[in-house]
Amino acid sequence: MNPMAMDYLLPAADAAEQDMEAAITAIRAHVRCEPEPAVRLRRRFFDSFEWGLYRANAALEELVTDQQRELLWQDLAADGAVAARQAITAEPGLIGDLPPGPLRERMAPVLGVRRLLPMVALTGTRRTLRVLNDDDKTVARIRLEQMRVEAAGGRPAVTLPPRLQLTAVRGYGHETETTAHRLKTVLALEPAPAPLVLEALAAAGRRPGSYSSKLDYRLDPTQPAAAATRTILLGLLDTLEANIDGTRQNLDPEFLHDLRVATRRTRSALGQIKGVLPQAIVDDFKARFAWLQQVTGPVRDLDVYLLDFPRLKTDLPPGLRDDLDPLRDWLAAHYDTEQQRLAGTLASERFVTLLREWRAFLEAPARNGAKDAKTPIAAVADKRIRRMFKRVREEGRAITDASPPEDLHELRKSCKKLRYLMEFFQSLYPAEDIKGLIKQTKVLLDNLGGFQDLAVQAEHLRETAAAMQREDAAPLPTLLAMGALISRMLEGQQRARQEFARIFAGFDSAQNAAVFERLFADKQPAAAAEAGA
Amino acid sequence: MKIIGVYSIKGGVGKTSTTVNLAYLAAAAGQRTLVWDLDPQGAASYYFRIKPKVKGGGRGLLRGKRSPDDAIKGTDFELLDLLPADFSYRNMDILLEGAKKRPTGQLKRLLKPLLKEYDLVLFDCPPSISLMSENIFRAADALLVPLIPSTLSARTLAQLLDFLETEDGFGALRVLPFFSMVDAGRALHTETMERLSAEHPQILSARIPLAPEVERMGLHRMPLPAYAPSNVASGAYRALWDEVAAAL
Repeated sequence: MNPMAMDYLLPAADAAEQDMEAAITAIRAHVRCEPEPAVRLRRRFFDSFEWGLYRANAALEELVTDQQRELLWQDLAADGAVAARQAITAEPGLIGDLPPGPLRERMAPVLGVRRLLPMVALTGTRRTLRVLNDDDKTVARIRLEQMRVEAAGGRPAVTLPPRLQLTAVRGYGHETETTAHRLKTVLALEPAPAPLVLEALAAAGRRPGSYSSKLDYRLDPTQPAAAATRTILLGLLDTLEANIDGTRQNLDPEFLHDLRVATRRTRSALGQIKGVLPQAIVDDFKARFAWLQQVTGPVRDLDVYLLDFPRLKTDLPPGLRDDLDPLRDWLAAHYDTEQQRLAGTLASERFVTLLREWRAFLEAPARNGAKDAKTPIAAVADKRIRRMFKRVREEGRAITDASPPEDLHELRKSCKKLRYLMEFFQSLYPAEDIKGLIKQTKVLLDNLGGFQDLAVQAEHLRETAAAMQREDAAPLPTLLAMGALISRMLEGQQRARQEFARIFAGFDSAQNAAVFERLFADKQPAAAAEAGA
Repeated sequence: MKIIGVYSIKGGVGKTSTTVNLAYLAAAAGQRTLVWDLDPQGAASYYFRIKPKVKGGGRGLLRGKRSPDDAIKGTDFELLDLLPADFSYRNMDILLEGAKKRPTGQLKRLLKPLLKEYDLVLFDCPPSISLMSENIFRAADALLVPLIPSTLSARTLAQLLDFLETEDGFGALRVLPFFSMVDAGRALHTETMERLSAEHPQILSARIPLAPEVERMGLHRMPLPAYAPSNVASGAYRALWDEVAAAL
């Protein structure tokens, strides 16, 4: 179905519009073809904020002319060939907003719950020449385009070199080859070096795939600990900053989520990579990032609720489900207020200063650090992970069926620290071993998280019920449905509690302990270097 | 992929114009569409300015010497392809009879490699009830049956429904009849339509008028909505396509 297409660049010159007309005249003198009226085009390329489409080797183009507005799904592995298309009438956003059809089917697994965001916009003109055979049948299409990347984010508009695309009509490959040959003798064509989307993104100064919230540092085991720690913290700061705009505009809940994860990891790194950075600095920034964590909490809580609402509803018996709707309305009504407050915080002097001073510190030449500032990072990592593992093991072993919830909460905090430490330093250890340990730790964290989160949610729901009642926003059936939901949550919490012993035993196995011992034992510097190699 | 056979036992009821116009509308709505012109007269191929010729003919396709993939031609419209007719299709029943296994499952077999490539396949079927028709019934999800509002048409619809009921294996096949070449000025037409709609509730509500512009498709050699999008018959085909798309 997908016709072969060849993209060329026309020789660039200053008066591009005139060049296009001259090219058309030259083509018509040598190729039997019929011109179609010139068309004004507007194009936007969309992706999710973390470039999910690009990572899947795809691009999504919105093409708007006077006649139509459609989305084109392009396969970047096949030079941008169009694999599916779909007429649309509304702004592309979430997958559910798109009309059902082949394009939606292809995009759904790639986009998931993310929102489509415009990454680059272009405007321009297209001239199409239909190449005809003796029956006046179209056997190929020649499209000449002059596109301009629109000004955005303080960058001026950029005019791209004019492109010529020759597209075969299926079953007429021979005619297309003849046409290609003729075109090359008529015009000085150069094969286009990249699909239009990549050329446009480059011209707009955007690097596709540049964002990832995953921790992926390549650390040198012999590097002084202070320098390696700064590398880690700078990476987290980059992630945090990359999510500010999206959070402020509330484009997708994932922006705020990633901003908060980067904040939490920063706090964890500050607290856990001990004896490396000056203590006064650590204390100051720990407190300031704790503030950031706290002021970003309310919107995240509401996000979680609203995203989870359909599932919460299905947790209830069918007869009670609709009674829950006033809760959603109440949450949605409070959302805007909280979101505005959050946007205000992110524009505040306090926040801007925090990030500016933090970056200034991280990028400044290393001053007198603490006692381990010059110790090789591998030795610091070994020690920190070894200690945290021991702590998790001791706290976990001390938990019995009679332990209060606070003990599990403490264990969860230690467990999270252990996970972050292993993630920060994973490049220092054999990939398979460290991945296995991280995975094992995540299983334990999921159990502890289930226990804790359900308790917090139930408590939050109780407080919400009280607040709704004060504001006269909760009819009795809604309060009863919320009560039923709280009971479901507490039951779930109970289940997580009962599962704990079994899951912890999996973490606390002799085999796991042996791997921990092998990876993180106190080694000589030479051995540490070897382990990271 | 959905497969629709545009089928009638009778000839001259508007099968080919229906196939060509619906295929055009489906492609314009974003569906990757293939028309298979099974009628040896090759009218659908003619409308798309494509030579009614398949190298190796029907025999080459059935014997696996040539894949349908090689014979497919793009039309002048994006997303819309055609598998052309070939004069040898007039002997298709003899060729099908010669198939070693399942002489009624050959079309379905030939379409298999195209499953992923197209969202919709439309057969423009030759008029008759034959081994070829049985192949169409087995391959299709739905039969779209044009009816001229006349007593004879009613008889052929009854014949078709009767055949599908008595033969095994057509239970899942949807039959979607609709009125074609309707002359709203003729009392006989309006009366017949009322009576038949009452008898056969599965008859779709879109009605294709008998319009001179439809007959001119042969001069323009393109689908009606492509050259006369605001013509009343184009509107009728759009309504028909909406109903068919909803039914599938």
